[in-house]
Amino acid sequence: MPMCSMRKGTRKNERGLLLLVLACGVLLLGNIASAQVYLPKPPPEPSEYGTVILDNHSTAGPGPVVFDHWLHRSRFTCRLCHVDIGFAMEAKATGISASTNREGFHCGACHDGKKLFEGRPIFAACSDAANDKQCDRCHSLGKQGVRKYEYGKFTAKFPKGIYGVNWEAAEKSGVIKPVDFVEGLSVKKAPMQSREDFGIKSGYSWVHPIEFSHKKHSIWNGCELCHPEIFPSTPKGTIRFSMFSNIEGRYCGACHGKVAFPLNNCQSCHPGAPLWAP
Amino acid sequence: MFFATDFKAKMITVVLVLGLVGLCSVRAMGGPQSSAAQANPAQDTWRKEFNEVCSKTQAAMTFSQEELTDLILRCDALLPQIEKLDESQKKVYMGRLRMCRGLYAYVLDAKRNEKK
Repeated sequence: MPMCSMRKGTRKNERGLLLLVLACGVLLLGNIASAQVYLPKPPPEPSEYGTVILDNHSTAGPGPVVFDHWLHRSRFTCRLCHVDIGFAMEAKATGISASTNREGFHCGACHDGKKLFEGRPIFAACSDAANDKQCDRCHSLGKQGVRKYEYGKFTAKFPKGIYGVNWEAAEKSGVIKPVDFVEGLSVKKAPMQSREDFGIKSGYSWVHPIEFSHKKHSIWNGCELCHPEIFPSTPKGTIRFSMFSNIEGRYCGACHGKVAFPLNNCQSCHPGAPLWAP
Repeated sequence: MFFATDFKAKMITVVLVLGLVGLCSVRAMGGPQSSAAQANPAQDTWRKEFNEVCSKTQAAMTFSQEELTDLILRCDALLPQIEKLDESQKKVYMGRLRMCRGLYAYVLDAKRNEKK
């Protein structure tokens, strides 16, 4: 074989190898990038976690409401507000207005100036008699010094976990006693018939299985908050739960990653897994 | 004449005072309240049925398929009554009925799937 054709062949091979390496590199980078997309984002400060801005009338009125989940969840179950009182789980789906509050619905279910909490009347929401200072207690976006409660002070005595308050421990220790009934709207119910806890096997050997506690979840949520809207009925095995869907806000992600402990807190669902995914 | 005019004025004053006292006592006794707490016979009927049907959600898993079907039908019968309510009540109770009915349908479905 002549020397020049041998050199040509080697160059061709080198070029092929280079292309292969480049293609592998691109694939690897693509995988890393997509994995980045599907890792839970680091949550905000615990004081900001679960904060909801209600902005129905941004151009007029007293301005948007800042709702702190940490304050209300220390006093009421999730079920009370999201089932009995009718706060939707999605933004702008509740249909809350000053008039619904005045008529004793939504915030007005408790904030009516008459119902007592710890011996004191709960201030009336959107009352005709309210002055600017009273309105600002809720309509507080961008206003300094108008909120009554501050996260650090309010939760000072609550047990803490890796990320802010450990609400489960707080309830267990009796530091908080969430109320599950509001007069005028709630229905007296028979005691909860909780379903047994169960394990969920992972599809991947490197992911620790989940220990799901129906009991823990149903104390705060009842049954109808999760079923069927978050977890619909399907023949076993037809839905594949994944961290991808959770991060997108479906299934567990409907609460975890928004209000309940963040998805970064691996060990709370996957015993034996790392404590926290940064 | 003067006596008659004076008497009339006194009577009007008494009537006005009594009227005012009456109005105040109605208010003090609970007068017009928010619609969440308001009670009238028509409202009582649907509310009673709603409370009856949706108070069983926590025990839904213990019901038979027939009982669950009956509860779903009762939810469906409530729907047109709730649709007639005023806007605020409708917003709240339509959502609650949807969740309550949804749960019974979910459990029924789960039980049917179990049998398959």
